[in-house]
Amino acid sequence: MLRLLVRGLFTSLQSYFIHLCLCFSELSGVSLTEIKRDWSDHALWWDQKKMWLLRTAWTLEKYGIHADARLIFMPQHRPLKLDLPNGKTVRLRACFSDPVFQTVMGICRQLNIRHPEELSLLRPVEEKKKKKDKDLTEEIYDLTEVPLSSVSRPCLYNGMPAHFAESEKMEAVYKMLSITQTPPAPEVITKQYRPASVVDKAHINGRWLDSSRCLMQQNIQENDRLWLRFKYYTFYELDPKYDVVRLTQLYEQARWAILLEDIDCTEEEMMLFGALQYHISKVSQSEPQALSTNTAMDDLESALLSLEVKMEGESSSATELLESVLIKRSCVNVRFRPKRLTLKGYKQYWFKFQDTSIAYFKSKEESIGEPIQQINLKGCEVAPDVNVAAQKFLIRLLIPAPEGMNEVFLRCENERQYAQWMAGCRLASKGKSLADSSFQSEIQSIRSFLAMQRNNSGSSSNAASSDESINTHSLVSPRYHKKYKTKQLTPRILDAYQNVAQLSLSDALMRFLQIWQALPDFGLSYVVVRFKGSRKDEVLGIAPNRLIRIDLGVGDVVKTWRYNNMKQWNVNWDIRQVAIEFEGNVNIAFSCVTADCRIVHEFIGGYIFMSTRSREKSDVLNQELFHKLTGGHEAL
Amino acid sequence: MEDIDAMFSDLLGEMDLLTQSLGEEIPPPAPLPNTKKEVSFTMDFANFNESLHELEDTDLDALMADLVADLSATEEKLTAEIQGLKAPSPPLPNLPPPPRDLSFPPAPYDSSSSSSSSSCRDSSSSLVSTSATSPLPPPQAGKPSKEDIEAQMKADKIKLALEKLKEAKVKKLVVKVLMNDGSSKTLMVDERQTVREVLDNLFEKTHCDANVDWSLCETNYELQLERTFEDHENMVEPLLAWTRDSENKVLFQERRDKFEVFKNPQNFYLWKKDKKTLKDMKDKDKELLIKENFCGPSIIVPDLEGVLYLKEDGKKSWKQRLFQLRASGIYYVPKGKTKSSRDLVCFVQFDNVNVYFGKDVKNRYKAPTDFCFVLKHPQIQKESQYIKYLCCDDDWTMRLWMTGIRIAKYGALLHGNYKAAEKKSVVSSAWTNRSTPSSSNQSTPSPTIRAKASSQSNGHASKPQPGSDHQDFGNLPPPPPPLNEILPPPSPDPVLPPPPPSLASKPSGPHRKQPSGFPPPPLGIDNNLPPPPLPPPIDEAPPDFLPPPPPNTGIGSFPPPPPNTGFGSLPPPPPPPPPPVSSLPPPPASFGGIKKSLHPPPQDPQFLPPPPPDPVFTSAGAPPPPPPPPPAFAATPRANARPAGSVKKMPPAPPKRTTPVAGGGGGGGDLMSELMLAMKKRSDH
Repeated sequence: MLRLLVRGLFTSLQSYFIHLCLCFSELSGVSLTEIKRDWSDHALWWDQKKMWLLRTAWTLEKYGIHADARLIFMPQHRPLKLDLPNGKTVRLRACFSDPVFQTVMGICRQLNIRHPEELSLLRPVEEKKKKKDKDLTEEIYDLTEVPLSSVSRPCLYNGMPAHFAESEKMEAVYKMLSITQTPPAPEVITKQYRPASVVDKAHINGRWLDSSRCLMQQNIQENDRLWLRFKYYTFYELDPKYDVVRLTQLYEQARWAILLEDIDCTEEEMMLFGALQYHISKVSQSEPQALSTNTAMDDLESALLSLEVKMEGESSSATELLESVLIKRSCVNVRFRPKRLTLKGYKQYWFKFQDTSIAYFKSKEESIGEPIQQINLKGCEVAPDVNVAAQKFLIRLLIPAPEGMNEVFLRCENERQYAQWMAGCRLASKGKSLADSSFQSEIQSIRSFLAMQRNNSGSSSNAASSDESINTHSLVSPRYHKKYKTKQLTPRILDAYQNVAQLSLSDALMRFLQIWQALPDFGLSYVVVRFKGSRKDEVLGIAPNRLIRIDLGVGDVVKTWRYNNMKQWNVNWDIRQVAIEFEGNVNIAFSCVTADCRIVHEFIGGYIFMSTRSREKSDVLNQELFHKLTGGHEAL
Repeated sequence: MEDIDAMFSDLLGEMDLLTQSLGEEIPPPAPLPNTKKEVSFTMDFANFNESLHELEDTDLDALMADLVADLSATEEKLTAEIQGLKAPSPPLPNLPPPPRDLSFPPAPYDSSSSSSSSSCRDSSSSLVSTSATSPLPPPQAGKPSKEDIEAQMKADKIKLALEKLKEAKVKKLVVKVLMNDGSSKTLMVDERQTVREVLDNLFEKTHCDANVDWSLCETNYELQLERTFEDHENMVEPLLAWTRDSENKVLFQERRDKFEVFKNPQNFYLWKKDKKTLKDMKDKDKELLIKENFCGPSIIVPDLEGVLYLKEDGKKSWKQRLFQLRASGIYYVPKGKTKSSRDLVCFVQFDNVNVYFGKDVKNRYKAPTDFCFVLKHPQIQKESQYIKYLCCDDDWTMRLWMTGIRIAKYGALLHGNYKAAEKKSVVSSAWTNRSTPSSSNQSTPSPTIRAKASSQSNGHASKPQPGSDHQDFGNLPPPPPPLNEILPPPSPDPVLPPPPPSLASKPSGPHRKQPSGFPPPPLGIDNNLPPPPLPPPIDEAPPDFLPPPPPNTGIGSFPPPPPNTGFGSLPPPPPPPPPPVSSLPPPPASFGGIKKSLHPPPQDPQFLPPPPPDPVFTSAGAPPPPPPPPPAFAATPRANARPAGSVKKMPPAPPKRTTPVAGGGGGGGDLMSELMLAMKKRSDH
């Protein structure tokens, strides 16, 4: 077999003497003859020249190999430890002989991620103080046994690619890939490296591997650790149906970017991100893999359900659901305080919920007659004011009226009552009645949130991870750990949560990504550069559609150039300078400080490549074009 | 409360019947409709009456026309429904009039965009016809799949019941819309109609050029505020917030700002660049900008940041602050802090506020400039500390901010609105251009420019005498008079008070669209083709077809459909009478459809015979049909007859209707999917 493979070489060996190191490490201890091995993956690596001799039809002479050449015979696919966006490590066999671009394609095929062109590999940050952590050996998900051939055509089995369905172990790997991770403990977030400035953020971009050269050429060894990340922030046709892993990993990357303040956002946005994380982790635990069922059918069912409820209500039969609806209808005692009347006390009234309005009466007995007042809650703002420890359950309503907003507080007696009325108020503010199907789930989510607060206020923050509740500090960046205690943070997140509580898992993921993508700084990869004619360092931000120049001193965007105005860009490899010409005779040139100019070049070319993708040809990736746009340097 | 109870018992009875008598035909509980009618009639009668008194005669006429429109639309719906319900069972000649006379197909309560709403209507109408089609075979051959059909029938019925629940609550407003020239038009607006639909309606009544800038605006007299309604918005909702005797008005005007961002996106997204670059922007680059910012996974708001004057809550002073617009709201930089995102303080989020233009703020509030925009909850109608006033240095900055806020608030909806408006304008320009001068008797200037909003429940209750209306009605769709006569010049200044009288004297019409070489598009009329055959056909249609015959059977026992005299006075249909056949569901172009549909388009005898299901049936080449009555119609003729524009207008329709049919026997699934579609659309709100 060996001879077959290398025949081309040996025939031309003739009188040369070559060090041919055969790499049989995997076979050590086993007699060669006994084992039946597939050698087709093996090839020769010319160590000194850092190149693979993949063209077996070429003669050694044509390759320019002389007697002193050191050739290594070894497999092209070798194990690699990959750090995924979700922080987990997977060990899999990657191709060490193809350009990284193709290697990533192969990896993504194994992991079942579509559009591999958006991802790439980068060298990990040097871990200095991680020594003590090394003791706790992290879990490594092993994919090295996946036969490479089986991956080529992913057919679905049980909703996952066939090669994941082979064993339970493999299924676990797929689970890890496709289900979002539970929120990290607050300490984990605090411990991680957080960039403090744009310059810090720029450093990561110096570590991207060269897409047009292979791993071996970039000194990556077997079992080395690399990061797999989304590199280009244009996510083509994200579809929850086909992109389970892609969506999950993208969400994880976005989540960490926000938690570590890699991308800036406002406090309100942070709370919303927190609420979405909470919701996503809750939903993904409760209904794992429940792919969005036909929502239309659900609607019909829920509509029918509510209809039934109403009708049964008339005939007073008692189902679970009905009961609660009746409770709502036939009134709960809620104390009520119109603002400014009295600051201290609350007056007790009998309240009734009808459709989207609440009406109140002096007493239960009078509730048949005319109410003292009826308030339509549609379009009002509902905010909680709750302190579980103090048994304070207030609902703050900001009700619009022609004269302005009326502030009304409803005080509930206990948690149960509060959850029901809060849920009712929220639905009503959106114009839905209590018969709406989401009423029960709304109550549930309110109660689970209350439970969270109870736990947090009871014990110290560390112990909270034991049960299903989540420490809200896990959902926001460390900045807010300092600013708010969990007790204060929870209501704020709850506030944001009410707008997202009804989303399905994939909708919530998509929403998270949408808000992320709507942030002003989204999609910017920074590189510290020095513009031609300038004496100070500045930052170049590379976005999917434009380049921006940022003044380091002020942090302001000084100038923006869009790619669609770009006429050409060149790299002078000798002086490591990138020169770009835009329409209207605008020329810029800069040298790169924190990253190789190759990386900037590849970013620009890559984004231009991404913009050429279109639906018709989305199936086949135009690799040639990619390399044309991103490569072209240091002709090999 | 009582009426709700009544409704429940109504429904209860109905549900019982429906569930019990599966497979049998449905003896609809006859008494029900009456109660319903009465209830709805009394509810707001006084109110309605009152408002009617204040209307001028002309208004009344117009109103009557609308009412009749509603009426006949209802009837037509009814027939369609009956058809749908009856289909599976062997046709009984003497069906008692079912109680469904009040129901429309489920219209989206507050559909997100006009296109979606129209497609929704499509789906509902096609739903009816599919349901009629699929059961065709069963009586003879379809035994095996009976359960399926039953299940689907059941779902269908349940859905109808649900619809009725909603329907019973539908409100109608009488709205007076002030024209640019000082005249006004009175419209009946259904609670579920979107602004787009009302606009379409107005286009037809005014015969204006229907360009994209036409807008409906709300003015608040007390606060001196003004706002352009977005096309996807529900029309009635904001009007209901008005106080009882408010001087607020609804204006029908051209507003360039409404869609300016789609015409010149660079001015908003690249406003920092120098003027010349912006002016010379290539169309290709503009498209790219729109694509980048509106067609991506998330909406990108223009990058806006600047010092604005803020009127402090309840105070008289104006304070300068550095504001920033983000997708999540407006923020400002607190004193002594940096501009970094995490230090920003949220000033307002957009969920509960609308953006208004504030007039005369210099005088009223001692504002530093007159370029002021206002953020407030739509319900707030009077002076309040909850209203936020922001002043800009110049007009352009103000427009930037107002547009930016709208983008942040509505996102892709705006783009959808624009595309819908554009389509409409293309079609209409063709239509206007071919028109000949003729009667322009429509508007009489009326002194009161108040939009009278009075709610009247279910307009059908007050059935007007059909005859008289019809005459009036005949005048409605006259070919529009020459452009110049009607169209007031586009007023650049939104505040401009409507120039007074004399319609005819307006010289420069907003003659934007070039007269195109289109064949005369019978657009107006096309739209009028209501999905199911209209009541009038009844008499002629052969009652004994096996395939559920058109509405006729049911209708016979109905309140008299628009009398034939009405037809006489109708203008002849435009040249190419588009046979309503084909797999295209009749284009309910919009909600206006309801009204329009009462234009007796079907007066042309050609239309009458084809009950909607049949053509579909034939064209789809479905299984052995019982002799389809009017096989004469093929799908093609219609396509040809239609001007390109109008076909374009309702793109969503074809697939919906055709797919189910093409599915052949599997009617069950298709019906369900239709159903679900309709349900989903509706429940989105």
